[in-house]
Amino acid sequence: MSIIQIENLKKTYRETEVEVHAVNGIDLSFESGEFAAIVGPSGSGKTTLLNMIGGLDSPTEGKIIINNTNIGNLNASQIIDFRLWNIGFVFQSYNLIPVLTAKENVEFIMHLQGRKKQEREQRTKDLLTSVGLGDRLNSRPSQLSGGQQQRVAVARALASKPKFVLADEPTANLDSKSTENLLDIMEKLNRDENITFIFSTHDARVVKKARRVITIEDGKVVSDEVK
Amino acid sequence: MNLRIAWRNIWRNKKRSLITISSVILAVVLATFTRSFQEGSYELMIENAIGKFSGYVQVHQKDYWEDKTLDNGIDVSDSLLHQIVSIPNIEGVNIRIESFSLASNRNNTKGTLVMGIEPEKEDSLIDLSKKIIKGKYFGNLDQGILIGSKLAQYLELDVGDSLVLMGQGHWGNTAVGVFPVKGIVKMPAPNIDRQIVFMPLKTAQEYFSYPNGATSLVIKFKDADLTQEICNMLNSSLDTTQYKAMSWQKMSPEMLQQIQSDRISGVMMLNILYMIIAFGIFGTVLMMTEERKREFAMMIAIGMQKTKLIIITLYEALIMNALGIIIGIALSIPLVVYYHYYPIEMSGEMAKSIEKFGMEPVLPTIISFKIVINQALTVLIITIVAAAYPLWSILKLNVIRALRR
Ligand SMILES: Nc1ncnc2c1ncn2[C@@H]1O[C@H](COP(=O)(O)OP(=O)(O)OP(=O)(O)O)[C@@H](O)[C@H]1O
Ligand SMILES: [Mg+2]
Repeated sequence: MSIIQIENLKKTYRETEVEVHAVNGIDLSFESGEFAAIVGPSGSGKTTLLNMIGGLDSPTEGKIIINNTNIGNLNASQIIDFRLWNIGFVFQSYNLIPVLTAKENVEFIMHLQGRKKQEREQRTKDLLTSVGLGDRLNSRPSQLSGGQQQRVAVARALASKPKFVLADEPTANLDSKSTENLLDIMEKLNRDENITFIFSTHDARVVKKARRVITIEDGKVVSDEVK
Repeated sequence: MNLRIAWRNIWRNKKRSLITISSVILAVVLATFTRSFQEGSYELMIENAIGKFSGYVQVHQKDYWEDKTLDNGIDVSDSLLHQIVSIPNIEGVNIRIESFSLASNRNNTKGTLVMGIEPEKEDSLIDLSKKIIKGKYFGNLDQGILIGSKLAQYLELDVGDSLVLMGQGHWGNTAVGVFPVKGIVKMPAPNIDRQIVFMPLKTAQEYFSYPNGATSLVIKFKDADLTQEICNMLNSSLDTTQYKAMSWQKMSPEMLQQIQSDRISGVMMLNILYMIIAFGIFGTVLMMTEERKREFAMMIAIGMQKTKLIIITLYEALIMNALGIIIGIALSIPLVVYYHYYPIEMSGEMAKSIEKFGMEPVLPTIISFKIVINQALTVLIITIVAAAYPLWSILKLNVIRALRR
């Protein structure tokens, strides 16, 4: 059973003079434990697709079923809760709450879930250690490098024990060393703890690490390879 | 956690938060201060003109107020006095007999208000002996009189001189008498100072040929707030075909009106101040939300309900205001208390015009917990109202658009 099932997904923007078919009929499914990259030229629809999978944006047509739930049927408040419990997010930048420390940022999402303090603290420590930041628990985002911030974001995304993690160009703002480091961490988490990662990227080195590469152009899947 | 985030967010932009807090402090201090001075001056005005002169409640013969003559007087009996004093909270009754007479000394003649009073009892109410600037206070059986300082000046009278009084007595009798001036009193209200002649009650009753007569019974009680209640109790217990109790608000409607219209203009001024504060807070909260839309969008994306986000932002506004209000109150109280005991003394033209209204030229504050709390609550409500739009904009936040920025 796949954890994500996408059927005939379309997103059309009509705000401009011309209609833009950002996503133009996509059928895809993802299994638990995948490490999948979505690639394609700029403007091909990667962000739009990921936003719809993450329940941040609603499709013009088609449906997305996550774990037997058609997320199109959820109301505004339900979809937020659905994200909280099922999906981890890593954005390109501005991932963290600037006034909270690394530790508090990771704890925050578990706090939203109402998890107990003891569990929160233990899990936060474990996660930050596993992304190599066990010694930076009390640093604020502004005191961390871009790469370190992204690693905190990965730890935060995992803290809620989601079904999968969505990452839209998580390495776009990082230098090559930090990129490699982040990818290694994600790969390790995927391999050791069976965490499902779906990420978009422009970066050939990132693509190399992926075990499945989905290429889209003009809002359509043009190739879907499993290595 | 929410409070922690709110607290830290406030100190994220220290300068702006401090300006906001300061504006709240300023609003609370200014509002409390001006209102305290306003109410303080009313209280003083009422106390001078009413409490320390006519009393808050008087009992008259029922037609006296419409037609103030001795013929509409009261024959004072012990049973009447007893009936009044037996009402709870009433501490005593001062008997007065007053009427107009002509006063003359050599070539000068002037209309005066002759007021027969019980010397000892009245002294505790109107502090008359303290107002003596020359001569001595009188006793119950004295033949001597006390006259206002302006009247003395006009008639060129000094202590020891005699004053000729002529007027109408009870039931058509002519009232005539020559009275030695025993003392000169300076009354705070100039219109009274210009025409008052105080006489011991017995002497006055004799002068007016009205033994046991009175025109008004001044009801004494401690708490001015009981005025209406006491007035009502008197009217229900006394025979209203003969007597009528009146509150100072009924006896001096001009003063009540003056106070009320002054209060309205004062409150209007404050409203302008409040509007300015409201815009300040509105601006701050709006900026706080606008510049953090990306952050808010991220928080909503990872699973935070918008309502929770609103609560955090509301906390921020409320904490800043609570700080401002608490500091504002802390600063106001000593100021208000200080100026209550050391009122601002006015001088020059200002003082003169105030004296014309029968008031002392000082500006004290009133120490009123109610004023402080009212101003603090008003500022609090303003905050919530001013924050409403920015908070509502969170509810309408488009996550995708904010994330793309
Ligand atoms: N709100 C919008 N209104 C109109 N058009 C939009 C909107 N959002 C995206 N688009 C258009 O949809 C198309 C797909 O955009 P999208 O951001 O998904 O591409 P992308 O593959 O993520 O590009 P990049 O690699 O540059 O991030 C683009 O042509 C874009 O201009
Ligand atoms: Mg994109």
